[in-house]
Amino acid sequence: MRRRTRAAGLAGAAGLLAVCVLVGLSVGGVRLSLSDLLSGAGPAGETARLVASLRAPRVLLAALVGGCLALAGAALQALLKNPLADPFLLGTSGGAATGAALAALAGLSPLVSPAASFAGAVASSLAVAALARRGGRLDLHRLLLAGLIANAFFSAVLLGVFSVASGQTARTMLFWMMGSLADATPARVLALAPYAAAGLAVLLAFAARLNLFAVGEENAAALGVDVESSKRIVFLAASLLTGAAVAFAGIIGFVGLLVPHAVRSVVGNDQRTLLPVSAVAGAALLIAADAVSRAAFAPAELPVGAVTAAIGAPVFAWLLLKNP
Amino acid sequence: MLACRAESGFSRSGPAPAPRRVVALAPNLTEIVFALGAGAGLVGVSDYSDYPPAARAIPRVGGLEVSAERVASLRPDLVLATQEGNARGPVSALAAAGVRVVVLPTGSLDAVLESIRLCGDALGRRETAARLVESLARRRAAVRARSSGLRRPKTVLLVWPDPPQAAGGGTFLDDVLSDAGAENLLRTRPGWPVVSPEYLTTAPADVLVLPASPENRPIFERSLSAGALSRGTIGRARVVWMDEASLSRPGPRVFDALEELAAALHPAGERVSP
Amino acid sequence: MTAFVEARGLTASYGATRALEGVDAAIGRGEVVALLGENGSGKSTFLRVVARIVAPNGGELLLEGRPLATLPRRETARRTAYLPQATELVFPIRCLDLVLQGRAPHARGFSADSADDRNRALAAMRACDVEALADRDASAISGGEKRRVFLARALAQEAELWLLDEPTAGLDPRHRLEFLELLARVHRERGTTVVLVTHEIDLASDIADRVVLLRAGRALAAGSPEQTLTADLLRRAFGVESRIETDGSGRRRVVPYAPVKGSR
Repeated sequence: MRRRTRAAGLAGAAGLLAVCVLVGLSVGGVRLSLSDLLSGAGPAGETARLVASLRAPRVLLAALVGGCLALAGAALQALLKNPLADPFLLGTSGGAATGAALAALAGLSPLVSPAASFAGAVASSLAVAALARRGGRLDLHRLLLAGLIANAFFSAVLLGVFSVASGQTARTMLFWMMGSLADATPARVLALAPYAAAGLAVLLAFAARLNLFAVGEENAAALGVDVESSKRIVFLAASLLTGAAVAFAGIIGFVGLLVPHAVRSVVGNDQRTLLPVSAVAGAALLIAADAVSRAAFAPAELPVGAVTAAIGAPVFAWLLLKNP
Repeated sequence: MLACRAESGFSRSGPAPAPRRVVALAPNLTEIVFALGAGAGLVGVSDYSDYPPAARAIPRVGGLEVSAERVASLRPDLVLATQEGNARGPVSALAAAGVRVVVLPTGSLDAVLESIRLCGDALGRRETAARLVESLARRRAAVRARSSGLRRPKTVLLVWPDPPQAAGGGTFLDDVLSDAGAENLLRTRPGWPVVSPEYLTTAPADVLVLPASPENRPIFERSLSAGALSRGTIGRARVVWMDEASLSRPGPRVFDALEELAAALHPAGERVSP
Repeated sequence: MTAFVEARGLTASYGATRALEGVDAAIGRGEVVALLGENGSGKSTFLRVVARIVAPNGGELLLEGRPLATLPRRETARRTAYLPQATELVFPIRCLDLVLQGRAPHARGFSADSADDRNRALAAMRACDVEALADRDASAISGGEKRRVFLARALAQEAELWLLDEPTAGLDPRHRLEFLELLARVHRERGTTVVLVTHEIDLASDIADRVVLLRAGRALAAGSPEQTLTADLLRRAFGVESRIETDGSGRRRVVPYAPVKGSR
């Protein structure tokens, strides 16, 4: 019966993704007509081709980033036994954005910024984990608190950098801080894909262990899981996924929080199902949010982080009210 | 940086055909295109392009953050962008989608001249550009010659009064100030620093240069009479009003502004103090 | 005869607090051993150290003569089932899935999904009378039902050693009796070794083969219920004065009646 749920869940999410991809490709400041695209004739055909070749990498980037964020969120919620856990709560995104910002401030080439972003994400994860260490073990409550502190710190640094940066650096800072899928090229999509794949592979391998964590850390230990090592690996994988997402799209909130929530209410909490379905659903959600960001005030574009926050914050508030 | 994508010359097979559909992503680039006589080929310009008047009729593609799709829908065969003024994302997306993008340098008056030259190359107007650059360079040299040796007033140039934002080092306005014979007090701060009002009350400024438009002049005047610019040393500095439109865009008109500023700082008859 | 589980001078701490200060205890195969002691004496900690949830920081802990720390975690998890006093379930989980978690140590990658696993889990649930709850959300059932589901999990785990932390605490009389009945039956059928932490002195008297009294992280006494549940030892272990009585069915009853003055 569980196998059926998994298949059904994946099929449902894949269907949703397909719809969102179609929406993402067809919506935007400029009308894209399929017939123009297929016929390719004349100026209309040329425009259609150009717009499609702008939108396609953007939809793919949104899918990868959304998938990474949702996956990281789902894994962290199971690991921390907290349905409100989110990669951004743990300070990872702040660290990633700060790493990228400092690299930009130092005048390093933009080619370096994904690496700087990962370095920032992992460094902040390690720092937060060190703060949360208690008697040789990772205390999960202190982890959440340390993440909050880290976020406050990184926000301050980012704003500080923003206020002294000039021109292109300041513009790039805004990109990190508000989230944007505007910088979407096939090269960037190909660069992000291996990180997303690696993160997915590691987390799927730990999915059964995460089921045990979801009942409790002691529960997992009593059933034979090497708890410290698993915590470290899952935390690191989630940090890498988050760092990758931030490197390519800036800070985008609420996806890691809300997608696992929504998916859980449909397919239950078996991580072997929840993780992959969340990844696909996260991809669909971010494509849709990006479509909204492009269409709402066309031809101007909203930062996609603003769209996810505008939807996410009220939903999050409702969740808080529902679960006292 | 994006500069590595800038094209700087003809392709091997000979001069590139003159582009027929050009999009300019910054107002100064619009002005440069018109100055080179290629205004008729512009099919899209950035939101703030209002000079020359003919530019106002050209379709807009966005402001600080342009819409790549909007640009694409105009089927450009050339897109002109600036290094500092345009967000990287849409520009690189367009380049990756196969559109010819030329990124022009910023940050100094030399960069302005170089931009004119590179635009000339890209638009197939090499000779026009060369003539324009030569004439602007000559005028610049003349201003510099006139102001060299004269006492340099300590100057602050504020692009906005509240919060006070100044032209710092490494900007084309810093070059304008120094060529016109002023000493930019904020040269040591790069870019466009936002300075504190406390700094302004004690800064040893002789001259305050304010580039204002008819729309925002009242804001500057309010600050001068009762705001951040009314107190202390900055309140006692001599105010030189400039036309914002020519001073704030790194294009050909900036050289008109340069001459104007030099004349305002050093009225005719002022001689060298030994 | 080697004890099944043996602790020698076992010490363990939580951060700076020492919970076990050198516990000596031996548990024979198939025995039911009751661990008694006042709050903070280290009883739950001892269970958790044996369950490998908490690592000891001194002394020895042997399983069939081999140091526990040298055995792979998965192997000890196959042989040891731990029933905590309380489990907060934050996420929804089907009772069947909860019981299936007991099969995790036996499964590759901790993923118990096969038909064989399901059959064992359902059989365990049947034995514990909770088969009807298989598809219900475990976070929505009563305390008594949850205890039985966890017991089913221990059964599914096919562990030889059960570590039960106050298994009857908070249960109403009927559920308590049902649980004890179930425990006795399963213990009889499978010969499981049971280590049971409890506050119920009479329960220890009734069902334990041996009793270990803990005080301040050390074993005060160990032996049969008659040997250990004496007024004198109870005074030292709990700080209470007690009477030993015999009830109508001839069973030994311990009745604490007053705290010892001035000793705490």
